[in-house]
Amino acid sequence: MVSLLSSSVLLRRNPLILKLPPYLSFLCIVIGVAWLLVLPLDNYSRRTYISENALLPGQVHTYFAGSDQNVFRGYKREVDALEGSGNIEVNDKLEEFFKASGLKVARQSYEYKSAGETYAGENIYAILHAPRGDATEAIVLVGAWWNMEGKLNRSGVALILTLARYFKRWSLWSKDIIFLITADSKAGPQAWVDAYHDTHQSGMVDSLPLKSGALQGAVVIDYPFDHRFQDIHIVYDGINGQLPNLDLLNTVVSISGHMGIGTSLQQMWQHSDSYRDRLQTMLRGMLNQGLGHASGPHSSFIPYHVDAITLQPFGEGWQDEMAMGRVIESTFRSLNNLLEHLHQSFFFYLLMQADRFVSIGTYLPSAMLVAVNFTIMAIFLWVKSGSPNGESSNVSLTVEAGEKKTPLAIVKEGDAKALAPEATIAVRERELFLPLAVVAGSQFLGVLPLYIFNHTPEAMLHPIFTAFTSINGFFPLILSALLTHYFAPTAHHYTLIKTFSLLLLGLFLSSLATLNFSLAFLVGLLSAPLTYMQPLPNRPIVKGVLAVLLSALSPTTVLVAGCWWWELGIGRVLKEAAFGWDVWGMTTQVVVWCVWWPAWLVGMVLLFGNPREEKVKGAGNTIETVKT
Amino acid sequence: MNIDRRKATLFGAAAAVRLLLFTSFPGLPDLLTARVEISTPVTSFKRLQEGVFLYNHNVSPYDGGVYHQAPLLLPLFSLLPSSATYPAFTYLLYIILDLLSANALMCIAQSGEAVSSKLFTSPRKDKRWSNFAIAAAFLFNPFTIASCIGRPTSVFTNCAILHAISKAVNGNSFTAMFALSFAAYLSMYPILLFPPLALLCYDRRPPLKNPESIYSFVLGNAVAVGGSLYSLLHMSSLITGSWEFLSSTYGVQLLLPDLTPNVGLWWYFFIEMFDSFRNFFLGVFWIHLSSYVAGLTIRLRRQPLFVLTLLLGIFAIFKPYPSISDTSLFLAMLPLYRHVFPLMRYTFLASSTVLYATLLGPAFYYLWIYAGSGNANFFYAITLVWSLGLSLLTSDALFAVLRDELEVERPEMKGMEIRQI
Repeated sequence: MVSLLSSSVLLRRNPLILKLPPYLSFLCIVIGVAWLLVLPLDNYSRRTYISENALLPGQVHTYFAGSDQNVFRGYKREVDALEGSGNIEVNDKLEEFFKASGLKVARQSYEYKSAGETYAGENIYAILHAPRGDATEAIVLVGAWWNMEGKLNRSGVALILTLARYFKRWSLWSKDIIFLITADSKAGPQAWVDAYHDTHQSGMVDSLPLKSGALQGAVVIDYPFDHRFQDIHIVYDGINGQLPNLDLLNTVVSISGHMGIGTSLQQMWQHSDSYRDRLQTMLRGMLNQGLGHASGPHSSFIPYHVDAITLQPFGEGWQDEMAMGRVIESTFRSLNNLLEHLHQSFFFYLLMQADRFVSIGTYLPSAMLVAVNFTIMAIFLWVKSGSPNGESSNVSLTVEAGEKKTPLAIVKEGDAKALAPEATIAVRERELFLPLAVVAGSQFLGVLPLYIFNHTPEAMLHPIFTAFTSINGFFPLILSALLTHYFAPTAHHYTLIKTFSLLLLGLFLSSLATLNFSLAFLVGLLSAPLTYMQPLPNRPIVKGVLAVLLSALSPTTVLVAGCWWWELGIGRVLKEAAFGWDVWGMTTQVVVWCVWWPAWLVGMVLLFGNPREEKVKGAGNTIETVKT
Repeated sequence: MNIDRRKATLFGAAAAVRLLLFTSFPGLPDLLTARVEISTPVTSFKRLQEGVFLYNHNVSPYDGGVYHQAPLLLPLFSLLPSSATYPAFTYLLYIILDLLSANALMCIAQSGEAVSSKLFTSPRKDKRWSNFAIAAAFLFNPFTIASCIGRPTSVFTNCAILHAISKAVNGNSFTAMFALSFAAYLSMYPILLFPPLALLCYDRRPPLKNPESIYSFVLGNAVAVGGSLYSLLHMSSLITGSWEFLSSTYGVQLLLPDLTPNVGLWWYFFIEMFDSFRNFFLGVFWIHLSSYVAGLTIRLRRQPLFVLTLLLGIFAIFKPYPSISDTSLFLAMLPLYRHVFPLMRYTFLASSTVLYATLLGPAFYYLWIYAGSGNANFFYAITLVWSLGLSLLTSDALFAVLRDELEVERPEMKGMEIRQI
């Protein structure tokens, strides 16, 4: 009977088990980080492969050569001549060219307002109806007139015009091909793809007068110079960290490989296939994914489940624009072969280099371990908060139970009787209201910066951010003082505040890890010290050091540090973020202000906390046992 | 006076929060209406609008195969100005329904039936929350708010069930039976609440000089339920002009032809099943659902209100088309048993599981439906977790109440570890 009694409940009071969780959760963080660091090794990453057999990349002969080069030069000259012209004027000319190639042309104008600025323009697109298809599926070839850096996409647009003319001559297309030239790289593609799926805000963005079938894929050409290039840089990050199907990327890598053109990712212009370079590529990819911003015109397509990538030729080499055209031609021939939407290969992956990746099953545990560390700690603190006399219980239990000083309860079972220390069964009644209110309150406070930074005009963003950062510096101090003054929380309350805060953080991060792995990992890592924050009223030096550490890891400090490192203006970053929120539907801000910041705030409040002595109020009232 | 002011403040705040959500986020009602966690094929507000449109154009609302809700809702909603042009009236109607439910809940809490019924008084009866706290826990529960904004018709059912219980604790057995039959008319499953509700009425009836026997009392109530159900159904057939609504409303609940995903356990199971086994398993699932009624009613004869609470929790898990609105009803009743909370063993585990499922559910649904990078198994896995969390909560509450009863029967067992052998 006694042995039966002793298992689960006594396990809860086992001093060893009660000491373990802080180390366990630290171990989780360490393993999580180490896990990520070993991924670039040969044993943990895999070579990419084509899953979808229908793609057959590079298996067709490409014919884009010869006299088409003269056509390209002609278009190129026209594009150069249009350099100083307005959007409408350019589109008038482009419409002429598309019509001359025998395509149906339509235009769409849009206007977005964000951070007090207006982004307006007109997209133009032409549809090549598939000679062998029934207009139920389409692939898109996109070129933005101005690329992400604001340069004229001169060779890119000329190449699209040439390819439109060239593709029209072939009778083998079984999917419609849409040639889209957007006015800019950020708002234009979003307006077009929104309108294509009828999810645009009417009034601001026009509906599309001409449509085709379901989009199967999109390829963007970003080719702003007119000299020969060396390799192709592939950009694949979508909004909110979504990625295109890996097969699309593999197809392009394989095709350019066949043509003797190298490929690179994440602005790694040199890649020596070393551990260091692989790790750097992966970390850059994770950062881009975590930020969740659009990295090219293709990004807007990905949320609609349209796999899309941007191809950027770079470097000085001997590949000419016709080689680029052949890569596109061959890619489109592959996409044309598809029998169903790309689905075979991975949607969640981290790339180390163009032909090496890790899939979600391999990398997810690292973010989950970091998130689990918070949950372990939360469960531990919950159990601890239930023990009758706070922290000393496990010690007193082991000592006193031996001396038989604890009140014993008698168990009768027929003739048999057993004695068990009462403290093993007693559970302290937890006072939940104040902790829940503090945690919920700080979560709600997060809506404030979220609203402010998304609705401030550009000129005000920098001053407001400065003001917010300085307030953020001493706000936890005030909050903590107010809490101590008005509610006089006990150590028990602080433990419960921490429990709920960590539980929520772990909850949010593990959910987020399934949607945007990198963001969950980065936020988890930056808030890892929160696991170990507790009121330290009697150790001012340790408290000071921890406060400095924690302030260095606050969302605002990290933002400032990031801007300094990449030499970006804070105003520009915030404007970009507001634009992302308004136009792209980017949700990184929500995670920063409503997940990370509240957790950080509670951590700081805990650190400055000053728990009231519990005994003063009378232990009889606060501590209740089942035995009452 | 003071009490009334507190109540007015509470209700005012709850209404204000809902109005604020309705008006300041105009996209929110439609977004939530489309969520599978809130709207099921038999409660969806969108489908109701379709039914009202057909009804207003003199077409049988059941012709399209979309509308599966009770016919009497149609005249109600066609009397209201159209929700597309004047949504404010619909919003107000749903806010009022929530407040009425909260009011009924306060009546139930006020009676103290939860801590001390006719046959059993808990030793912990002093430790309970005030009826304001219980109403506030219902009104400010995110699940309740979300289902108010999403406007499923299960809100009507919940309101009717709460009223049935509140009338029953006040000994008003015939009104209680009418409210129950209204709930059963709307959603069918509440008819299973009849046995415990009749016992609750019997226990709480005002003392008479010559008390009738329990059998004749229950029989009388059964006749009352049958009579009011018949009149409601007859009215419905007059409104729609035929009895065909029976197969489109209750038939759908019984035979599960619409397999739209929801938070329950049925849809995936019946998608995967071979057709030849379908009828057999429909029977098994329904028998399983109704088998709890008899067992719990007999075992917990002394606390019929707790049987009702527990059954609501079980229905929220095992019903054919459950939604978070059913969960919110269970979570509304649970705080009445505040006095047994210290006896529960897995509150933290169960609430964390429910919280995790609440966050992961929409995430996985998004991955499946929108991003296309997940599949149906993702969402079903999370509905399993959700059901696990709720089952933990119900079984733990049952454990705590049985433990509470045990301590009255055998005081020497107080505080001892209980082990199932």
